[in-house]
Amino acid sequence: MMNRMTRRRLGTILVAATLPLPALAAPTHAVLYKNPQCGCCEGHAEYLRQEGFDVEVRPTNNLDQMSRLAGVPEDLQGCHLIQVDGYVVEGHVQASTIRKLLRERPDVAAITLPGMPSGTPGMPGPKPGPLQVLAISKTGGAPTVYDVQ
Amino acid sequence: MPALGRRRLTAIGGAAALAALLHRPAPAFAAVPDGTVRLRVRPARVPLAGAGHPDTGMWTYDGVVPGPVLRVRQGQPFRTVVENGLDEDTTVHWHGMRLPNAMDGVPGLTQPPIRPGERFTYAFTPQDAGTFWYHPHANGLEQIGRGLAGVLIVEEAEPPPFDRELVWALSDWQLTEDAQIASGFGNRMSAMMAGRIGDVVTLNGRVPDRVTVRAGERVRLRLANLSVARIMALHFERHRPVVVAYDGQPCEPHEPADGRILLGAAMRADVVLDMQGDPGRRYRVTDDFYGDRLAYTLAELAYDPAPPMRSHPRDASVQLPRNPLPEPDLATAERHEMVLQGGGMSGMMGSGMMGGGMMRHRVLWAINGASMTGDSPDGMPPMLTLARGRTAVLIFRNETAWWHPMHLHGHSFKVLARNGAPVPNEVWGDTVLVAPREVVEVAFVADNPGDWMLHCHVMDHQAAGLMTVLRIA
Repeated sequence: MMNRMTRRRLGTILVAATLPLPALAAPTHAVLYKNPQCGCCEGHAEYLRQEGFDVEVRPTNNLDQMSRLAGVPEDLQGCHLIQVDGYVVEGHVQASTIRKLLRERPDVAAITLPGMPSGTPGMPGPKPGPLQVLAISKTGGAPTVYDVQ
Repeated sequence: MPALGRRRLTAIGGAAALAALLHRPAPAFAAVPDGTVRLRVRPARVPLAGAGHPDTGMWTYDGVVPGPVLRVRQGQPFRTVVENGLDEDTTVHWHGMRLPNAMDGVPGLTQPPIRPGERFTYAFTPQDAGTFWYHPHANGLEQIGRGLAGVLIVEEAEPPPFDRELVWALSDWQLTEDAQIASGFGNRMSAMMAGRIGDVVTLNGRVPDRVTVRAGERVRLRLANLSVARIMALHFERHRPVVVAYDGQPCEPHEPADGRILLGAAMRADVVLDMQGDPGRRYRVTDDFYGDRLAYTLAELAYDPAPPMRSHPRDASVQLPRNPLPEPDLATAERHEMVLQGGGMSGMMGSGMMGGGMMRHRVLWAINGASMTGDSPDGMPPMLTLARGRTAVLIFRNETAWWHPMHLHGHSFKVLARNGAPVPNEVWGDTVLVAPREVVEVAFVADNPGDWMLHCHVMDHQAAGLMTVLRIA
């Protein structure tokens, strides 16, 4: 804990000094909850680490309940759930979209890439085409398109 | 929103431990004078989560969860009148029993569904002694997931020499914060992965509890996993359980690999436990199937402080008498491959095999490319017709990334091989657990005429396509 606090504070200083190079900043901490037997979620965690996130993986059998609590409708759930800086991110969302979320800080509960489409970060196979990342409002309104990856 | 489940298990377990040290006896069943058992299917409020938590609104057999332990005698006729007090159709499937097809409890295949307010009489004579169970085969995921399941024990004509018998009906529940059954049955991501895994496991309808035992006694422990999806790997601290039967069918007594008893949903094991612990001490029974970080204590064996009943463990054989099962004739067997396909991480999701909006059930899984969904064939023809009396070898080839307890109705099969290696100890069953990418061969004599379901007993998988029918004619 101490370590992380220190790193984070150092990170703030670094960001201030070298603003155009966010890659040098201390990694953003993210907790990735995944089904204990799902392998592709590990692939996404590894991808996010390479993209500079500090990812902690926690197995859980309660993804559907966590997702429900976050307000993500069942048919829009992603195959795993990430808590990062006050937001929930579901599914194989690319790093640039997560960075955009943390930079813009919209008033939403979650963003999600439904299911586990092939060709997304951590998933093998060809990508079926451009995929919409949806924003889930805090008040239960209709999902909106937040980004396309 | 931390790891909800783990914390909940601990929290509720702690509350229950404070609440009561009582060992609740298994409820007896209500036999009416003519020997017919009456089972009323009805909603009821049940103290599932224990003291300090509200009662849980559940669907029950006779107001209790699990349903009453039904005890019958091998070779003696058994009759049950089932009354449906639900607002939806139900049936009862007598899981593992080799019975006439019309008694198998599959709506739209072996009987019409029991409509709300109606009743149906099941009557059969159990051929096999052992540990079996009963549950609905209509909207099974939700009906079992809301409480409808119970243990059926067929007693041997000659009782084997044990000091005592314990029945552990193990059930897994998804509960809300106020101890109610969580909705969300058939959740798409759960159905694509390991199924609806819960956050509270109960033993005979109670949260993890102490079980009082006596040093030196030899206990026959009947384990039954009545969960809709959860697989268990049970470890008995400082004890050496000996498995003497799986799914009601005796095997050669053996200690399981790693000392862990692996039970997929719907599976049973009869275990001999020689209580060789120290008087006054406690030993944990843990389940670590989903890894160390999701492991939990199921129960504690609490030794009475009294000195051991006997100074040495009994050394007599614990082999149970074989049931009258026909031996498969492998030389003349028909061999059929059953390829299990689909689910998360399979690539099938994007291939158009997923159900569209017009379908009654999602299609996420398949056997040999065909997906039978829901609880019954709904007009789909059998995948295979087997000649009556012939031996059939089924080769389950699991091409998915997930575990599947595959259940065949109306028969018990011999488990021949896993990934080509012979399975030791003469293991039979009605449900065989197939690991990801594993190939498992089983054999049985197709001696019971009729149309029989063959499906995965992760109920979400069954409902979403991991099911088919075999015809024996």
